[in-house]
Amino acid sequence: MSEILALLFFPGGLFVLAGGMAYEWADRKLVARLQNRVGPRWFQPLADTVKLLAKEEVIPSGVNAFLFLGLPVVALAGALTAAIYVPLAGLNPIYSFPGDLIVTLYLLSLLTLCTGLAGANTANTFSLVGATRTLTQLFSYEAPFLLALLGPALAAGSWQINQINAYAHDHWLLLTQPVGFVVALIGLMGKLELPPFDAPEAETEIVAGALTEYSGRGLALFRLGRNVELMIGLTLVASFYLGGLGNPLEFFAKTLALLLGLSFLQSLMARLRIDQTVGLWWRYGALLVLAQWLALILIGGLAR
Amino acid sequence: MTERVVMADKREKFIIPIGPQHPALKEPGHFEFTVDDEIVTDAAVRLGYVHRGIEKATESRNWIQNLYLLERICGICSHTHAMAYCLGVEKLGGVTVPPRAQAIRSLVAELERIHSHLLWLGVAAHEAGFDTLFMYSWRDRETVMDVLEGLTGNRVNYSANLLGGVKFDINGDQGDTIRRGLDFLEERTRYYLDVVTSDAVFLQRTRGIGLTTIEQAERLGLVGPTARASGVARDLRIDAPYAAYGDIPVKIVLDSAGDLEARFVVRIKELFESYRIIRHILDHLPEGELQTKMPRRIKAGETISRVEAPRGELFYFIKSNGTDTPERIKARTPTMCNMASVAVLAVGHQLADMPMILAGIDPCFSCNDRSVVIRQGEEGGAWTWERLRQYGIDFYRRQS
Amino acid sequence: MKIGAMLGDVFRSLFRRPATRQYPSERKAAPQRLRGKLHWDAEKCTGCQLCVKDCPAQAIEVVMMDKADKRFAMRYHLDRCTYCAQCVVSCRPGALSMSSDEWELAATSKEPFTVYYGDEADVERLMVGLAEANADGAQEE
Repeated sequence: MSEILALLFFPGGLFVLAGGMAYEWADRKLVARLQNRVGPRWFQPLADTVKLLAKEEVIPSGVNAFLFLGLPVVALAGALTAAIYVPLAGLNPIYSFPGDLIVTLYLLSLLTLCTGLAGANTANTFSLVGATRTLTQLFSYEAPFLLALLGPALAAGSWQINQINAYAHDHWLLLTQPVGFVVALIGLMGKLELPPFDAPEAETEIVAGALTEYSGRGLALFRLGRNVELMIGLTLVASFYLGGLGNPLEFFAKTLALLLGLSFLQSLMARLRIDQTVGLWWRYGALLVLAQWLALILIGGLAR
Repeated sequence: MTERVVMADKREKFIIPIGPQHPALKEPGHFEFTVDDEIVTDAAVRLGYVHRGIEKATESRNWIQNLYLLERICGICSHTHAMAYCLGVEKLGGVTVPPRAQAIRSLVAELERIHSHLLWLGVAAHEAGFDTLFMYSWRDRETVMDVLEGLTGNRVNYSANLLGGVKFDINGDQGDTIRRGLDFLEERTRYYLDVVTSDAVFLQRTRGIGLTTIEQAERLGLVGPTARASGVARDLRIDAPYAAYGDIPVKIVLDSAGDLEARFVVRIKELFESYRIIRHILDHLPEGELQTKMPRRIKAGETISRVEAPRGELFYFIKSNGTDTPERIKARTPTMCNMASVAVLAVGHQLADMPMILAGIDPCFSCNDRSVVIRQGEEGGAWTWERLRQYGIDFYRRQS
Repeated sequence: MKIGAMLGDVFRSLFRRPATRQYPSERKAAPQRLRGKLHWDAEKCTGCQLCVKDCPAQAIEVVMMDKADKRFAMRYHLDRCTYCAQCVVSCRPGALSMSSDEWELAATSKEPFTVYYGDEADVERLMVGLAEANADGAQEE
């Protein structure tokens, strides 16, 4: 019974949805203040979601209606399922089993995959180009991001998130694996398609990328999925590298500090072309994180 | 029985339409890019979405009303349109404008150039995804808008010109406000020049993109800062001085690289030139009246007048038949010359560079849609209004 | 070449007030030369109609009310006016001027967009005349 409550309200379900919207607001407000503007008021993401849910959903001609309507639901479901394995609000995850780190990372990629499929489903040229770019970006940052998150797993000697969280409590992996931290943070930006990695969603080139044809409920679900992913991604990186999340105060402080760093990076740089993104990741990202792994294995071997 | 086997091209053309409605375009225009896996292989341009029939409308209004109609061809280069018209009509009417009025006209023209280049800097940065530079440059542009509002009474469409002079004067206080605004803007412009030439990610989007050699620029007939960024030394303020530019030393700003970065650098350096010119005008403002009397009926004749708009050479042809309404006015705007280069340069670049290349020529579609080209059949001569209208109806009937 | 050339500016903005002016709660003082709503001084008008002829938008109509007394009334169309101030320049007796603080002229209906200037009785007669003309037109249809 308590598990059902945890899944539906806290810390899963409603808490994660509301938290995702709150983090989206914080991100937009921070970026606006960094650009010397005012930024939206606190209820803006909620208002956007309510408005989108109230709008008519237009199904364009030439698409597979079942996929068109079902992909947003699968994307949000994947993101919400991933939420039950991470230490949200600093409390223990609802469910935990050995190897749940791999499952969580897979579930997080499910959203990007659904976006790419949704774009490929339509006959709109903008969506097709956007879908191609989304999937290209997925292939390019996924490997370094995974390796960067598996570095702490190697150091903690376990693939279970709450055990890595407990290990990180005593060891600030930011200091011992700085390269991994940088790659993980920038990989999070790539996963969430934040500037400068927003080529798949480049407004001035391909309108809205893979989600061009979506409006109404589908768009609301995709956006909610992205917000939930933002919150989960921040939780993972904070818990692995910033010394674990033991209580709600630590949770909010550390994830908000990370969000500030993300906002700075967002506002400082122009958009990278998709080929420049791939080049950056496969040249610098992968090499750096592999070098980090090599160092870990060698030092670990020497220590033993 | 011989069969002719025609091998169709299996790969169908993947055409990405940018426009008429697109977030990259501030005004409607249609660009079709044939894309082969993110590399553009062909490009086509189609304009005419903002055609309002202004040249025809001038024929039914008197000379004074036309001043305000022509000013509204474009919002960003409105003063240069009005100035070109006034210079042409004053030439036809044989009227000499007092030097103080000419100086004030040039001053407002330079202020407009500052406003236009800052606007362009923000818009081009936005096309590259660099929203921070967009927000900051537009915040600083508010300074020059406030200066213009205090001086002329409006932020755009200043209506500073009159046939025969200007409407208002500049006194000491306004001169001080202008100087203070310029000091602030000069410091910020120096900062933007540094950002544009040293930010690593931004340079990746602009260096080497849209490369135009000087031969290409001459062949395509580019004008304005777009041509000066490729090394073509053409500036009407120096080659054919008008208004008060004969007395002001204007230095030409050139760059030889010809890519997008050069276009950024040339426009920002032109901002420095404009600051210098405005200070010079303020220091040497001649005494005198603001306006001379203009007759209501202008003598019959034809004339041309050329003005350096922020985007390049603006060309006006004015023909009068002795009455108080013009016979024909034709405006050839600079974007018309630069637009063809987009289709030529686009081939070989990536799709992501298309908005940047388009923004690099500083397109002004409202200025653009001036002329209507009608391909005639065997007959020549002038068409009546009814014939033109029937042609349009038949054209669209044929299409559907 | 540096990464993040705008870092100084961006960082300082965290501690500065935003550059946005929160209109309508704070209004900037309008400059003195702002071209706002047109005002007409009936005493000075000589009825030469130059302003009507020169207006690019046909926004002014000067109606002669009494030829002997040289009394005129003006109908001014706010929504057609382009606020160019050519009429102000064309008027030799200087009867026209543009206000510098009446520039918030948006309205929710069409009535405020036709402004009548002149003597009260004249204006009433004009408006009655307009209503009659409208009624006649409706009857003819």
